[in-house]
Amino acid sequence: MLNTGEVVQIVGPVIDVRFNEQIPKIYNAIEIPFEERKIVCEVEQDIGDNKVRCIALSQTNGLKRGMKAIDTGKAIEVPVGKEVLGRMFNLMGDPIDGRQEIPEEVKRDIIHKKAPSFDQQKTEVQILETGIKVIDLLCPYIKGGKIGLFGGAGVGKTVLMQELIHSIATEHNGLSVVAGVGERTREGNDLYYEMKDSGVLEKTVLVYGQMNESPGARMRVALSALTMAEYFRDEDKQDVLLFIDNIYRFSQAGSEVSALLGRMPSAVGYQPTLASEMGELQERITSTKNGSITSVQAIYVPADDLTDPASATVFSHLDAKTVLDRKIASSGIYPAVDPLQSSSRALEPNIVGEEHYQVAQEVISILQKYNELQDIIAILGVDELSEQDKIVVNRARRIRNFLSQPFIIAEKFSGYIGKYVPVKDTVRSFKAILDGKYDEYPETAFLFDGAIEDVDEKVKGINRD
Amino acid sequence: MPKYNFAERLMVQARKEDKVELFFKEIWRLNDWLNKNSELKRDIDSTEIEGSRKWSILKESIRPELDGEVLRQFFVIDESTPFEYTPSNLSHDFINNYYKDHGVSLGQVYSVNELDDKTLIELQKTFSDLLKYDVVFENIIDKDLIGGVKVIVGDHIWDGTYKAKVDRLKRNLKAVNEEYDKDTVASSVLNNINSYTKTQVIQRSYEKMGVVQSVSDGIVNITGLNNAMAGELLNIDDHMAMVMDLKEHEVAAILLENTTEVSKGSNAFLTKKVMEVPVGDNLLGRVVDALGNPIDGKGVIHNDGFRPIEMEAPGIIDRESVNEPLETGIKMIDSMIPIGKGQRELIIGDRQTGKTAIAIDTIINQRGKNVKCIYVAIGQKNSTVAQIIEKLESNKALSYTTIVVASASDSPALQYIAPYSGTTMGEYWMNNGEDVLIIYDDLSKHAIAYRTISLLLRRPPGREAYPGDIFYLHSRLLERSGKLCKERGNGSLTALPIIETQAGDISAYIPTNVISITDGQIFLQTDLFNSGIRPAIDYGLSVSRVGGSAQYKAIRKVASSLKLELSQYQEVLSFSKFGSDLDTSTRNIISHGQHLTELLKQPQYQPMSMEDMCVLLFANSKGVIDQVPIDRMREFGKGLLQEMHNSHLELIHSIRDKKEIELTTADNMDVAIKEYLKQFKEGY
Repeated sequence: MLNTGEVVQIVGPVIDVRFNEQIPKIYNAIEIPFEERKIVCEVEQDIGDNKVRCIALSQTNGLKRGMKAIDTGKAIEVPVGKEVLGRMFNLMGDPIDGRQEIPEEVKRDIIHKKAPSFDQQKTEVQILETGIKVIDLLCPYIKGGKIGLFGGAGVGKTVLMQELIHSIATEHNGLSVVAGVGERTREGNDLYYEMKDSGVLEKTVLVYGQMNESPGARMRVALSALTMAEYFRDEDKQDVLLFIDNIYRFSQAGSEVSALLGRMPSAVGYQPTLASEMGELQERITSTKNGSITSVQAIYVPADDLTDPASATVFSHLDAKTVLDRKIASSGIYPAVDPLQSSSRALEPNIVGEEHYQVAQEVISILQKYNELQDIIAILGVDELSEQDKIVVNRARRIRNFLSQPFIIAEKFSGYIGKYVPVKDTVRSFKAILDGKYDEYPETAFLFDGAIEDVDEKVKGINRD
Repeated sequence: MPKYNFAERLMVQARKEDKVELFFKEIWRLNDWLNKNSELKRDIDSTEIEGSRKWSILKESIRPELDGEVLRQFFVIDESTPFEYTPSNLSHDFINNYYKDHGVSLGQVYSVNELDDKTLIELQKTFSDLLKYDVVFENIIDKDLIGGVKVIVGDHIWDGTYKAKVDRLKRNLKAVNEEYDKDTVASSVLNNINSYTKTQVIQRSYEKMGVVQSVSDGIVNITGLNNAMAGELLNIDDHMAMVMDLKEHEVAAILLENTTEVSKGSNAFLTKKVMEVPVGDNLLGRVVDALGNPIDGKGVIHNDGFRPIEMEAPGIIDRESVNEPLETGIKMIDSMIPIGKGQRELIIGDRQTGKTAIAIDTIINQRGKNVKCIYVAIGQKNSTVAQIIEKLESNKALSYTTIVVASASDSPALQYIAPYSGTTMGEYWMNNGEDVLIIYDDLSKHAIAYRTISLLLRRPPGREAYPGDIFYLHSRLLERSGKLCKERGNGSLTALPIIETQAGDISAYIPTNVISITDGQIFLQTDLFNSGIRPAIDYGLSVSRVGGSAQYKAIRKVASSLKLELSQYQEVLSFSKFGSDLDTSTRNIISHGQHLTELLKQPQYQPMSMEDMCVLLFANSKGVIDQVPIDRMREFGKGLLQEMHNSHLELIHSIRDKKEIELTTADNMDVAIKEYLKQFKEGY
């Protein structure tokens, strides 16, 4: 017999349900039939007096107290396995791409799970080439590692993420899972058709809970996507790419309902469980002896404040971080990666090789020096610098410009043809600039191009004219 | 000491004397007397009448029927209670406790005349069956009810009194008066009178209603209303309110008007509607409030129906990417920060930097372009809004525009719902396959109104004291804009939200929130504004993430390098500030930058057509403008366009119709412009 309860309280997305016979377990899905559809809720707390407190996964407008609520007896389940490839889902695992339903017999998995145990962890370190110069040189990504893209609003996180999806997914030729967490619906549409056109879609699963959806949906959609990725890793023993845009929205959604769940607010109004929620999620995104999950996560920085508790919580989970900066973006250099703030665990001589390491260190130190000189230039002008410093400034400005790169994904609106640059070309190119071979070339020639040979050709072309 | 303890003390006393039943019988009788004699009750409950006097009043009127000993005990306890806790409270609480111990609920039946025991017993049986628990009623006499009965059990209220019917009739008449003509009024009155006579049986006549328990700062707590929906509209003594929280024993609602007439004891009624506003073409050219009622004194709006203000945004598969330009008629925007139909482009800047001007110019430029416009004013001065409407009218733009106003003096609740109301009106057209432009002026004030409501509802504050769901407030609003796919009719809703910054700080909380929702932003700077560059757009920080692919080819051809030219100019300018001598190339960049800046200046209320823009920017790309003295740039631009319209109309038409500058057109234009430059130079 169905275990049926009654809705007793509705405060925004938080619903209290009374069950007189059998109290549902935490995380069970509860269905409230409403008009022709049903509203699904997830049990979060048992608040005594035969009541459970649930979060609705869609809007609650129009719901009434006294409505019937049915305990499904299990947590939310999403379809997993090969059948999900090439499809687009919402967090409940219902397809939203307008194509046929997922057949009943397809295996489903619950979205709440434990992280792999300690002895299952993989320890080997291998570099993942992205074809983006500034990333490969200064904050190389690790296969099976966790990568964070930090940035405030409108500095180009999503574009960089999409470029990575495009380049890694095509080059890497593996399976990818894309989770859209609280971002723009329009981007979901753009990405879907883009993948369809470029043919990557057949090896990709997209799971969306975008910013127009209720906090409950945004809180759980990352777990749904992760569950699909885990299945590929654990059962199919494959290497999977997991893209999450944007993990900050996961914490944000949690903070929207936290107070209504009756928890005390913590720093800056966030939920007291901020760190543990993030930990539970992040520890599941890991590489085991069976297979790997390489994850790239965009992290929004509210009010451009890197110390924001939600953004800061993610830091400790990452192997590499790429920080995007508004000042660099406004000076017209894209990707607006801040070379001095970005870092990677893999930038060590025994992992990337001695030459790469040396070049990267020199690039960082020359940019650091330029940064320090900038104040002097602002007050006294370039002419007052010593000859030595003038060379530093000149080279640093060329390097800064050369760190920009035209994106394949952005061809439509930038007008530049996108370029994929292999790591060895990147290292060679920067070495040549550091050696002073290109000091005579105009600064602007270094903007938006691939390897140094492309710049060479461009300048020679201009000179010929 | 909590109040119920007095009643409990009386019960303890009764148990001690082993006279519970006697006590109950006597006090029930006292209570009954008080319920049925309002004058007696007033005297007994009065704080101005001394205890001894009360005693003698009781003796005179009911003493013969009551046991003196019980009453004495009663008044001993009553002497020690605080003033506001009256004897009738005490007796009522005692009876309530007694029944609670017996597992029975105490209900109240209000009537004009005393009900006989038979009726009461029947009522008790009916309601016990209906509610599935035992109920005992006390009968309270209230002459104001005119007729009929009202029943209250716990949170449930059934009101079948004539007073309630008259009230309801009054409300309906008022609503009817506002909406329909006389014939309908008459029929409505008849209908109501018919139902008035028919409602004799209690079960059929009950109306779900509630009673206001407290009112503070526009937040009303109501008991009853068991059937209320989340987000439902309520009528509280003819004032509108919206349900915010449905708690287990209470409903929290927010008043939509500033009123002092709602107070404890006011009656609240369900309207069975979630908040909704009228939609339809007749809204065009009109000024309405956040609920869609006309406020321009032009009479009734015949709408095409009502739609809820909160609707789900179109899903991923219902959309298509932005692929058609929305012309603002502003050179800087259409060339460098192009906006497409279905895009959300934020206009952001300090006070008095021309944010609203850009929005208004864009509306004016939609004349004859088949785009319907909605301007939502949130928390603004009424006088400012009146001026804007006047401007739109004088520029013949009002006929295709709807203005939604929630002014600074309106309640925070109205300011909170105004943008959703406007969006619902726009969505109706979008779903019919039309193009709509909506302007929210401005969302900072919207955020502040929502913060007010949240804090009053005691939701905990976060960053800058905004509640946790402040992002969701704007994201679910702005996500409703977009471009629909062919299967959904290809309509579009373009949104231009406005945000006001403090001291140019775009990295504050609300600005970054909205930037992360929109598809780009136009940033206005006070410094630029003051140095005479208008519109004062900072093109370094302004971007459009999707508009580029929607730009007309003609514009793209002549404008693609503008941003680069200007940013080079800016960089060289800051670098050369201290250097004494500059080389020629640097000097050229600076000179060109100055000319270009001058060319891009544009006064308010003068949107420019796409083809005129192309001519000017074409002149720039051919290096012609650099040869004009800076102080005569404006004159040159004006003269050039005049010349082109007078002598080379075919070129203008070619660009206008083909949206593209063909090679021959380009060649001819090049010649024509250079010719004009020669003339112009000779002129001085």
